[in-house]
Amino acid sequence: MGQTLIELKNISKTFPGVKALENIGFSIDSGEIHALIGENGAGKSTLIKILSGVYQPDSGGQIILGGRVVESLTPLEALQSEIAVIYQDFSLFPNLSVMENIALEQSVKNNDNLVDWKAMERISRDALDQLGISLDLNTILGDLSIAKQQLVAIARSLANNARLLILDEPTSSLSKNEVRKLFDIMHSLKNKGMALLFISHKIDELFAISDKFTILRDGKYIGTYGEDELDDEQLISLMVGRKIEYTIYPKNKRTEPLLEVRGFSKKGNFRDINFTLHKGEILGLTGLVGAGRTEVAQAIFGLNPADEGTLLLDGKEIINSTPNDAVKAGFSFVPENRLQEGLVLSKSIEDNISLTMLDALSGKSSLINLKKRKELTRNWMEKMDIRPNIPEMITSKLSGGNQQRVVISKWLATDPKVLIVDEPTNGIDIGAKSGIHQLLRDLAEKGLGIIIISSELPEILAIADRVAVMRRGRIITEFFCENITQEDIMSKAL
Amino acid sequence: MKTKLLKIKELPIILILIVISIIISVANPAFMTLENFLDILKSNLVLAIMSMGMLMVMLTGGIDVSVSSVITAVAVITGYSLMHWSSNLLFTILVAVLSGTVMGLFNGLLIAKLKIPPIVATLGTMSVILGLVLYITNGTWMTGIPEKFIDFGRKKLITFPTGDGKALGIPIQFLFLLVAVLATWFILRKTVIGRGIYAIGGNRDSAERMGFKPDRIIIFVYAFEGFLIGLAAVAHTSIMRQVDPNAFLGFEMQVIAAVVLGGASVLGGYGSILGTLIGVSLFCVINNGLILMHIPTFWQKIVVGLIIIGSISIDMTQKKRTERNKTRVDVE
Amino acid sequence: MKPELKRRLKSKEAVLFLIFVVIFVFMSILSPTRFLSLYNLQSMAYQLPEFGILALSMMIVIITGGINLSVTYTATLAMIIGGFAMSHMFAGGSSAGLSVLVGIILMLAGSLACGAFNGYVIAYIGVTPMLATLGAMTFFEGISLQVTRGGAISGFPIEFIKIGNTAVLGIPVPMIIFLFVLATVYLFLERSRMGATLYMIGSNPKVTRYSGINVRKNLFITYLIASLLAGIAGILMASRYNSAKESYGSSYLLQAVSAAVLGGTSIAGGEGKVIGTVIAVLIIQVISSGLNIIGLNRYLTNVVMGLILIVVLTINFLTREKQFRNN
Repeated sequence: MGQTLIELKNISKTFPGVKALENIGFSIDSGEIHALIGENGAGKSTLIKILSGVYQPDSGGQIILGGRVVESLTPLEALQSEIAVIYQDFSLFPNLSVMENIALEQSVKNNDNLVDWKAMERISRDALDQLGISLDLNTILGDLSIAKQQLVAIARSLANNARLLILDEPTSSLSKNEVRKLFDIMHSLKNKGMALLFISHKIDELFAISDKFTILRDGKYIGTYGEDELDDEQLISLMVGRKIEYTIYPKNKRTEPLLEVRGFSKKGNFRDINFTLHKGEILGLTGLVGAGRTEVAQAIFGLNPADEGTLLLDGKEIINSTPNDAVKAGFSFVPENRLQEGLVLSKSIEDNISLTMLDALSGKSSLINLKKRKELTRNWMEKMDIRPNIPEMITSKLSGGNQQRVVISKWLATDPKVLIVDEPTNGIDIGAKSGIHQLLRDLAEKGLGIIIISSELPEILAIADRVAVMRRGRIITEFFCENITQEDIMSKAL
Repeated sequence: MKTKLLKIKELPIILILIVISIIISVANPAFMTLENFLDILKSNLVLAIMSMGMLMVMLTGGIDVSVSSVITAVAVITGYSLMHWSSNLLFTILVAVLSGTVMGLFNGLLIAKLKIPPIVATLGTMSVILGLVLYITNGTWMTGIPEKFIDFGRKKLITFPTGDGKALGIPIQFLFLLVAVLATWFILRKTVIGRGIYAIGGNRDSAERMGFKPDRIIIFVYAFEGFLIGLAAVAHTSIMRQVDPNAFLGFEMQVIAAVVLGGASVLGGYGSILGTLIGVSLFCVINNGLILMHIPTFWQKIVVGLIIIGSISIDMTQKKRTERNKTRVDVE
Repeated sequence: MKPELKRRLKSKEAVLFLIFVVIFVFMSILSPTRFLSLYNLQSMAYQLPEFGILALSMMIVIITGGINLSVTYTATLAMIIGGFAMSHMFAGGSSAGLSVLVGIILMLAGSLACGAFNGYVIAYIGVTPMLATLGAMTFFEGISLQVTRGGAISGFPIEFIKIGNTAVLGIPVPMIIFLFVLATVYLFLERSRMGATLYMIGSNPKVTRYSGINVRKNLFITYLIASLLAGIAGILMASRYNSAKESYGSSYLLQAVSAAVLGGTSIAGGEGKVIGTVIAVLIIQVISSGLNIIGLNRYLTNVVMGLILIVVLTINFLTREKQFRNN
């Protein structure tokens, strides 16, 4: 192992209402591949953003970099300190050549007026040579496969003399073969003395390549372990061993089928999906991010129709080729990204709640009955305890929990048969979370069929009756949610 | 490998150009003559020069509908300068490019600094500039351009002997086009700001993170467009030998159509000089063909409109298809 | 009730109305005999409807996050198609009533066809409204020229001309039509379910689609309705000018955008009140008539109109910045 490259001490980050990181402290050495592990929401992304200077940590912490002690980094300082992050979207230019994507940054940084194509060619060729790959430098980036684009992103950070390379879920959209190649390259970079911080959910990959593991859980530092100090099971239990205890609701076995999904397949999304949702049941759909959960939900809701397969509602075949069809048939969908897909943020609570109900509120005249609309809004705001109790309030000003309640109200108002909720408690504080759990459970008791997608296993175990586990676009197994542990589910999902 | 790829990219439109040329020359043999080609060149020089500026604007994801009013204004200023100040060629060019650049700068500031959508901002400046020009000229032609300048406009770069004693030649104004193309090429290809134009068109956030200043680049692009319009105005005035304030009504549509036809994406980031020049040629050949085939000139507008909508529709449909077929999950 | 009243007085529309009053008084003082003359007030009352209807048409489109640069050429293509049929039928011996009826129906149908064209390209192919309507503008102009051969179509029955030039109980017929359109557009945008949908589409089309609403269909219908309004404006213009020509009303394009923006419609979509647009239409009409009366060159009026648009957008930008900084 090399010497310490970067050391973090007491790093915390507070967002309004949420403590995202709490007293994180560990160090990364040159010439090591360091895995950063944790479930969704454990604080990994926040930590990366602090390392790359996008976020400033709370005061009181220290970042020790090459002997220098600072409280925080700016993006420029991070670059100058030779820290490079490769995000999942790579931050590249699809319309520029491979060469420019790798080397243009140098010219901008040097404040050059003219482009030195020869130098760019040299820099980019050097970078690609270091990676031991050959790419045509003049190919337009957008014409390359995702895997090759990723290599270009890595080459770019080499050209910028990065000494710490942070890879955010680099394998999530690669095939097995491509992952192997990436690992070879990571190994060779490590042997050249570079430090790599590697973020992944996939346990087999983590063990295949990492020298050290740092585990985060709920924003807290759990520990740093050498690769020989842990096995998969221990790692999983450290990851999932949450302290937070949700109320565990009693599980019911239901028999009356409500929704049957038969042989759903879509190229590049999912394959041969089969499951049944019963009346009054909450069915969990889990798996790693990128396993195809959201894609299946969107297919059912007509947003991303399947190539083949059938959908039976109450035993009758239906076809949801648009969300409009789905809503008419009695489906509701609370999307994962509340801010971009769930709410019209610039509009009021009333506008948002009544959005799905415009037909019912207007009747034959097609003019909206304003009194009825006000009543509907008041009614739901009261029922869902949305605060502040001001229907004209612009939804961007509400807290996350209240925003989610508005989205759910909008759907419950349609009196649906099937409610699909995708990560319903993402970014919501703990009190509001249990509130939403209680609400979903109550709805199920009234006979609604609910599909909940969640990466948070305790949540699934707390409120779902059954859980289907997805991996790489397929449903691997189903559990009845009694007497099973998070580890049981995790070991299937990985 | 490099040249091979470049060729492939512009190949479809080159093929279309060839096919259409063949169709027209079958319909009217007068098409495939040197005289006709020189004619096309002369009457479309201005369009070609202006297409270079519009290409740059569209590369940043913008658009400029004020170009026709800007060239009218510059032509009027140039005409006035020729008649009242000096008929010196260099001075005239200086006046023209300066006034063009100032007007372009104004557009750039509105768009970059005040964040007004390009279409709305340039619609506003179009109305202001054209109104002023028509007020000052009262819409009438300016004649009386000094002989010295007219003589310059008559010059030929290269002449070709013809059988019947007429002298055919490449007009001197071709130099302006050459300068415009070379300048655009130099900026886009050789300067960092030129690559920045592509970069902000491709991924504005990343470009900013990388250290480019999008606002400055956008202002530069509109100013440079104004500069090129200045050149175009001098070329135009020396060809027409008078200034007609109504000559360019609706001309912005032709410029946009030619650039879009040349493969530039309206969303920014994609488009090349070669492609644009071929697009301009294709556009000119179609127009020339309509005339040679005695199709009423009104059809020209219909063709322009359909070209714009058609090219972009094809672009959009392809984009949607790739989006739909994108692999989201590596299915086992 | 009191705070409600206070809020209303402080609203954008109230401020706008105050600006209108100030400009009106200013113009009256500047030229009391001519600006306040019955002739001028009447001529404004005949001109305002066509402009007002075009502005409302533009506003509807802008609310969905679009723009319609072909709005005036939709109006003129519609009037040319209908006018062509009307004058030919009339000349061919058909009764005036039938000719007018067929003419008007064809004008409305023509505008709907233009709307369907734009709507299809924008909603179903996905071309940005700016470029689709920019292309359509030239396309419609070309077709119009193809029909008129560059001239104007005339020879309409007197019954048709009366629409734009007579008054009932002292109120000009165009004004009656405008008030009717205004009421309908108000009910449509601010009271109907489709109107509510359009505001949501303009604010966030994705969320609206995720809420089970057929965004494409709604957008398509929007362009149909907006173009139908343009067609009505076309009928009024053709009737008032006693002829049909492709260039009629082309200066209304910029003024229609200005009126919508000045009236508080957000150029980004999702916001805007009908009453705001109407007051802005009044302001612009008073300015343009006033400038005409004090003898300002009509070209300079265009300059003023362009400046209004730029200044209003600049003020919008500055207030947005200020709000942003205050937050």
